[in-house]
Amino acid sequence: MKDIKIKVNDLSLYYGEKKALNEITMDIPANKVTALIGPSGCGKSTFLRCINRMNDLISNVSITGQMLVEGVDIYDKNVDVVNIRKKIGMVFQKSNPFPKSIYENIAYGPRINGINNKAELDEIVEKSLRQAAIWDELKDRLEDSALGLSGGQQQRLCIGRTLAVSPDIILMDEPASALDPISTSKIEELIHELKEQYTIIIVTHNMQQAARTSDHTAFFYMGNLIEMGKTNSIFTKPMQKQTEDYITGRFG
Amino acid sequence: MATHFEMELDNLKSIIKKIGKLAEGQVSEAVKILLQEPEAAEGKIIKKTENKIDKLDVKIDEICQSIFALKQPVASDLRFIMSAMQISNEIERIGDLSISIVKKAKNIKEKHDLIVKFNIADISRQVELITAKTNICFAEQDGKATGEIFVLNKDIRNSCEDAIHDIINEMKVNSKAVVSGTNLVIVLKHLERISEHCTNIAEYVYFTVNAKIIKHDKFDDLRSED
Repeated sequence: MKDIKIKVNDLSLYYGEKKALNEITMDIPANKVTALIGPSGCGKSTFLRCINRMNDLISNVSITGQMLVEGVDIYDKNVDVVNIRKKIGMVFQKSNPFPKSIYENIAYGPRINGINNKAELDEIVEKSLRQAAIWDELKDRLEDSALGLSGGQQQRLCIGRTLAVSPDIILMDEPASALDPISTSKIEELIHELKEQYTIIIVTHNMQQAARTSDHTAFFYMGNLIEMGKTNSIFTKPMQKQTEDYITGRFG
Repeated sequence: MATHFEMELDNLKSIIKKIGKLAEGQVSEAVKILLQEPEAAEGKIIKKTENKIDKLDVKIDEICQSIFALKQPVASDLRFIMSAMQISNEIERIGDLSISIVKKAKNIKEKHDLIVKFNIADISRQVELITAKTNICFAEQDGKATGEIFVLNKDIRNSCEDAIHDIINEMKVNSKAVVSGTNLVIVLKHLERISEHCTNIAEYVYFTVNAKIIKHDKFDDLRSED
C-alpha cells in the first residue's frame, strides 16, 4: 500500500493483567477510510483510542509495540500528547457539543490554539461548517445554542468542530449509530467527501455502513486482528473463515 | 441450530434442485420423443412441466429479490444468491429448448434412419448425462465437477459439429433430405445449447464455491490453476 499514514507494529494493550489487544500489526493508508469491525469487546474501540492516546486517560493501561503516525512513534516519551490530539480529531457515538452557541462550538478549538481575530474565526467557522455539510442549515442561527439542534445536526456540528483545528486524521467511534437513516446517510456522504483531505478510521457495528463507507476493512476478534483488506474483498471473498462467519452473521 | 436466514437459503437451494430435476426430465422426455422410443408421450407432459418450470423460475427471482432487499447478503451468501438467479435462468432456457426439440422432431421424416446414420442417439444420451451431472454438481455444490462438465461439453460440441457437417453433405446430394435434415440440424443446435447452459451452471457453482468468475476461461486455463 502506498502512502501509509499510520503504521502499527506489534501493538499490545493491557488493562492491568488482561491483554485487550494482541500484537496488532497493520498499515492504515492515507486519505482513505478504514473501517474497524468486530463483535463487542473485540478491541476495535480500544485500538481506535490507541491512535490518539485516549487510553492514557484510563488508569492501569499499559501498551507495548509501536504506533507510528507519519513515521513518529506517538508512544515515545518525548512526544507531546496534546500535539498528537491536535492532529488527530475524534468523533464519538453520542454527539457531545459544548453548551455554547453553534459559533462558539466551532471557534473553541482555534481560540485555544491562539486565534482570536474575529474575521479569521468567522472564516474558520464557515469553512468547517461547510466541510461538515451543515453550513446551509445553520448559517442564519450561528448564535443559537448547539444543544437545540437535532441529533444528526449535533453530530455534524461535532465533526465540524473537529475539522476546525485542521487535523490530519479523524477517528470516528460509531458516529451514526444513534442517528436516523437520513442523518446517517448525510454522515456517510460526508465521510466520503472528507477522505480527500483526511485519513479516516471508523469503528462501526453496522456491517453495511462499513461496506458503504470504507476503502479498507479490518476485522478484530478477541483482541486479535484477524484480517485486513480492501473492503470489496472482505465483503465478497474474505480470506479467513472467522471473517466470513462474522460478516454473514453465523458467528458463535 | 440453523438461523432463519440459513433456512431461507436452504429453501432456495431446494427449489433450484427441484427446477433442475424438472428440466432434466424435460430433456429426457424430448430425447425419447426425438428417438421415437415407444414409451414417449406426445408432448403433453412436457408442456405441463414447462409451466411448472416457469412458475418456479419466477418464484426464485422473487426469493432472491427479497433476500437482496432485506438481508443484504455478503461473501459466500452473496455469491450463492447471485448464482441462484443466473442458474434459474439457465435452467428455464434448458426447458424451453427441450420443447423446441419436440416441435422440430415432429417435422423429421424417416427419423429412425437419420438418427442411426448421424449418431443422434449417442449425442442425445451425452446431453442427458451432462444435464444429470450438472444437477449433481449444483446439489453437492461441487466446484471440482466443473472440469468434468467442461470436457463433456466439449465432446458434445464436437459431436454436434461433425453430425451437422455430415447432414449438410447429405442434403447436398439428396434433395429429399433437405426438410428433415434442416430440422435435424436445428435439433442438434438445441442439444448443443442445452449442453452450454449446463456448463454455465457448473461455472456458477464454481463461482459460488471458489469466489472466482470463470465465465470466459478455457478449461485448460482452469486446469492449470488447480
